[in-house]
Amino acid sequence: MNQRKQIGQDVQKRYTYCDLPIGDVSIGMPAERRKTGLWRYLKPQFVRKFSPCREACPAGNDVEGFLALADQGRYGEALERLLGESPLPGVCGRVCFHPCESACNRGAFDDALSIQGVERFVADWEPTNFPAPGPPRREKVAIVGSGPAGLTCAYHLRRLGYEVTIFEKQAVLGGMLQLGIPTYRLPRETLDREIDRILGLGVNVETRCLAGYDISWENLLSWDAVFLAAGAHAATELRIQGYSANEVISGTAWLEAVNLGRSVSVGSRVGIIGGGNTAVDCARVALRLGAKPLIIYRRTQSEMPAIRAEVEEALQEGIEIQWLTSPVAIRSRNGRIVGLECIRNRLSEPEPGRRARPEPISGSDFLMELDSVIAAVGETVEGGILPPSLRDEQGVVWIDEWGRTSLPRLWAGGDVTTDPRMVVHAIGAGKRAALSIHASFTGEDLGQLGERLRIGVKGSFSIDRYLKGDPPGAMFPKGVVRPDEVNFNYFESVKRTCMPSLEPGYRVRGFSEVNLGYDEQRARDEARRCFQCGTCRVCGNCYVFCPDGSVRLDSAGCSYEIDYEYCKGCGVCANECPTGAIAMDAEGEI
Amino acid sequence: MIKNAREILPEEDFFHPGHPLCPGCPGGIALRWIMKVLGRDSIANVGATCLCLPTHVYPHSLEVPSLYIAMAPSPAGISGMSAAIRVLKRKGVIPAERKINIFAISGDGSTADIGLASLSGAAERNDDGLYFCFDNEAYMNTGIQRSSTTPQFSWTYSTTKGKTQRKKDLPRIMAAHDIPYVATLSVGYPEDFIKKVEKARDMEPGFKYFQIHGPCPTGWRFPENKTVEMARLAVETGFWSLYEVVHGSLRVTYRPSKQRPVIDYIKLQGRFQGLTDADIQQLQQWVDEKLKDLNQ
Amino acid sequence: MATLKMLTGNYAAAYGAKLARVEVFPAFPISPQSPVMEKIAEFIENGELDAEFIPAESEHSVMAAAIAAEAMGARTFTATSAQGLLYMHENLFVASGIRLPVVMAIVNRTVGPPNTVLNDLSDSLDQRDTAWIQMYAENAQEVHDMIPQAYRIGEDPRVLLPVAVCYEGIIISHYMEPVEILDQEKVDRFLPPYRPTHAVLDPDRPMSLGQIVMDDTYITEIKYQQQEAMDRSKAVIQEVDEAFGNTFGRTYGGLFQTEGMEGAEVALLTLGSLASTVRAVVRQLREEDGLPIGFIKLRAFRPFPSQELRDSLSNMKAVAVLEKGVSIGAGGAVFLDVSHCFNRRDDNPLLIDYVLGLGGRDVTFEEVRNIALRLFEERAADSVENPIRWYQVRGL
Repeated sequence: MNQRKQIGQDVQKRYTYCDLPIGDVSIGMPAERRKTGLWRYLKPQFVRKFSPCREACPAGNDVEGFLALADQGRYGEALERLLGESPLPGVCGRVCFHPCESACNRGAFDDALSIQGVERFVADWEPTNFPAPGPPRREKVAIVGSGPAGLTCAYHLRRLGYEVTIFEKQAVLGGMLQLGIPTYRLPRETLDREIDRILGLGVNVETRCLAGYDISWENLLSWDAVFLAAGAHAATELRIQGYSANEVISGTAWLEAVNLGRSVSVGSRVGIIGGGNTAVDCARVALRLGAKPLIIYRRTQSEMPAIRAEVEEALQEGIEIQWLTSPVAIRSRNGRIVGLECIRNRLSEPEPGRRARPEPISGSDFLMELDSVIAAVGETVEGGILPPSLRDEQGVVWIDEWGRTSLPRLWAGGDVTTDPRMVVHAIGAGKRAALSIHASFTGEDLGQLGERLRIGVKGSFSIDRYLKGDPPGAMFPKGVVRPDEVNFNYFESVKRTCMPSLEPGYRVRGFSEVNLGYDEQRARDEARRCFQCGTCRVCGNCYVFCPDGSVRLDSAGCSYEIDYEYCKGCGVCANECPTGAIAMDAEGEI
Repeated sequence: MIKNAREILPEEDFFHPGHPLCPGCPGGIALRWIMKVLGRDSIANVGATCLCLPTHVYPHSLEVPSLYIAMAPSPAGISGMSAAIRVLKRKGVIPAERKINIFAISGDGSTADIGLASLSGAAERNDDGLYFCFDNEAYMNTGIQRSSTTPQFSWTYSTTKGKTQRKKDLPRIMAAHDIPYVATLSVGYPEDFIKKVEKARDMEPGFKYFQIHGPCPTGWRFPENKTVEMARLAVETGFWSLYEVVHGSLRVTYRPSKQRPVIDYIKLQGRFQGLTDADIQQLQQWVDEKLKDLNQ
Repeated sequence: MATLKMLTGNYAAAYGAKLARVEVFPAFPISPQSPVMEKIAEFIENGELDAEFIPAESEHSVMAAAIAAEAMGARTFTATSAQGLLYMHENLFVASGIRLPVVMAIVNRTVGPPNTVLNDLSDSLDQRDTAWIQMYAENAQEVHDMIPQAYRIGEDPRVLLPVAVCYEGIIISHYMEPVEILDQEKVDRFLPPYRPTHAVLDPDRPMSLGQIVMDDTYITEIKYQQQEAMDRSKAVIQEVDEAFGNTFGRTYGGLFQTEGMEGAEVALLTLGSLASTVRAVVRQLREEDGLPIGFIKLRAFRPFPSQELRDSLSNMKAVAVLEKGVSIGAGGAVFLDVSHCFNRRDDNPLLIDYVLGLGGRDVTFEEVRNIALRLFEERAADSVENPIRWYQVRGL
């Protein structure tokens, strides 16, 4: 109201009855518009936000970025974007459990994006630029273990310029990737290519070198820093009658043997106890070797910890799974296994936060006739390889949020620690350690570093941003786009692109890769489905729908900007923004 | 994905910010689009409507000539202007080939109630102009009182227990006037809107009637950032239909793929808070009947 | 070449509009105006008049269309009566507020109820606050002459106000008289085309006409501008009357016409067709009875020529105003305006109002003569018992 009076008084000063135009005529005065920007109490701003896929990725991949480049056919640059955060896109594009897809906002609309499918396609391309080693620094870092954690840590430390040496107890590099995951899931050509690329940065490698034996911990701990990523390869014991007395095969040991080219016969009918990826892998490998595998799991399919797609593929291949069944005792005759005594379970009422407990049904014992038994009920850290006086937690190495152990200059990550046991978590752990080690040398404050580089609220860190810095005028994203911030009305429903795969009957004849991967057309079709959450796509909705005409093209003509002199803060632009790239914040805050 | 705005909206603006319409006003959106399509060579007749505010409340104005006579008679204004143009062109005062778009913009109150005679007269005479009824479903400018286009059961300050009569179907009334073009518009569907106005603009001279559905955050009691969403919901639930009548032949221009129940639309508006289940059912029935009739 | 025709007042108005080359004619029929509309529509249809006819669906729309057309820069004419005039009342203010010189013929008719097509001046007198210039005609010739004059007055840059030419229904509108139809060429010289710059809807020079002013900015000043324009119009009315005389050889006295005022002691003032009767009475009383009585025929009711009338009437001992209309609760509108001419402490004339002729009741020569004689008798009194006299009420 005061502003009105002000204008009235101004006009009154100027116009007497003599110098008004004749009559109630106003000669269009658009210049005297009210500054309605003063009405505002909420301010729309073009913000960049993280997409939830990126926050959900334990490796911190720039999912949205690489998808956008792939959509444009710029595969080399897309791969470069991925390699900025993780050196193993070809691996993850095949074996990851893709938490990014579970977080994908498109899942709330039609189908979540097959991010893994596009990642795999892009990873098979040549990168435009493969990262180069950084200018050499003084410090030297030792890495124990060449699994995904160790390889990633080596990769990032080389980018930072440190000298790195990997100590690997096996003759080959790769850890679980090489020894555990079957080749029909991860062909060795892909794995080896990615490992070679990492080594090409100038990583020193000592194979057949077991930490604590072939090289002492005293030696290792005298390096400027050590990253312990030895993994967990010892089998958890199966506590049933007859276990230690007979040749019950350890799941991981058996897979390792198969992958290294040694053969261990399992006879015709093999029972595999367990419900995780190892158990499923064992079954499918056994099938391909000509056996008739049978998985025995004490709960139901929905509680199996194995990747769901793996379980479904196993079932498609004709593998039998006995759910709600627990082993009781191993039966043998003349030193050879003849069967497994089992009991049926029922599931109890689950307590909050825990899975339902299997309760044996008395009187339901039965004998399963088997030639061999594989126990795949979990892995533990091998005894005797860890340095003394290292704090542990339930048999694995204790670490803080930056991967530091209880010993100075010793970091750890991956399966050897409390980290979740997935490849992508190991990759994230390797990156985290690299940053943490680097900060310990430079004296940078880890808290500030973390805040600057963290993706979203609970995501990983962006090391690519650390290394490359921010381009001038670029907006680093803040916050994560929720599904309700995406306006689905502006997207057409398109089904998820189907991943071609070998026909099930054909799969089991050998170890060829089951999933065939997207061709270029499919990859682009799928990449195009990405909403680009939190990124302005210059669609013009804000411009079209502003009731005040306060959104206009900027002077360069390639994006939109808001005229804050007149914007009333109604929020229609933010509501109609398809990707949630406009945020409404209280006036006066960013 | 919606096409880039540059593709559907002409670029130049004749309706500028700095006007005192409520934040989120659908009228601002609609008038801005109309002005972009009709352009510099147009003359406005403004009746009583909230859109008086950016056009005739001193010192605001459009960038084109504009006349406010009184509440009801903007259609008569079209008649007067088009007659004047015809005779002045004959006399050579206005060049014969110059195309001036005469249009009127008026609210639902002045169109359907007090100005209905004027509207019917101008339509019957088929005077040349585009008439836009900005339908925010009540007399909003005077502080939210009911009009004949207020839906049944809606709260307003003059129907605090809900309006008893149903919404007047004015577009169908206008379609019966034998005019070249009648269309319904919505601020939730810009492509449909622009196409229809362009079509009418380029048609042969005659009376063209538009009714714009404008969800009013202030009067319908919903948050002001949901204006466009509410417009969409109205169409998706069948409360408002998008169609055109070209020389008497009706064509639905947008059919939602799935008709949503009216409850999805009315539960978000404060003006429908007092409805019982029976009321909602009645509204659903009304919508269903309307749609059935339209689709025949 | 001027021609003489037997025309009704309505047709005289129609011919006047044709000669004035009006360009847009919106109209709605109402008795006693309908023949105006029909005649002009006929002129347009057979090509005699190059104009656009808008058969609007109500008088409110008629005036709205007239405003819109005039705002486009086209000379606009219309006509109406009584209820029709009242229906467009709202828009009359708009025409004068936006300063659009529309000309309207008001064919006077009593405002009902009781409804009738008979006449008095109540309809146009009721509109005196609308800031329109109001001129009253006495006969068909004057109606015909007033239309082009009205345009010249209204369109004058010093004025720019709408003008109403009023004449009584039936008495003038429907009775035939010999009317000299003006020569078109001479009218064209007398009245140039209307090409405004002050208020015109032209996309090359955009203007917004008819604002809503919600603060202290300029409403008072706009109204004052109208007042000034009205004041200036007095001189313009005089000028136009003289110019008309020079072109066509006939004048009407400008703001009002006087007769026998030199040496008169009393005067009768009236307007419209009643002037013919009153003039005849005054002449007879002067010539045959030697009474010092004068006569004023008021032509312009708005602007009200207060100063000029004051000058003419201040020497009178008594003045009687005869009018066919009344503002119930006060008195005749003309009488009230005449009264305020004399608002100084030592003002002289006795003023008496005669309300008569309502609802088409005939006012006879005898009645007027009686009024004049009574006025002469009462001229020396300091006051009269009842200055507002309803003259023809049966039973009073």
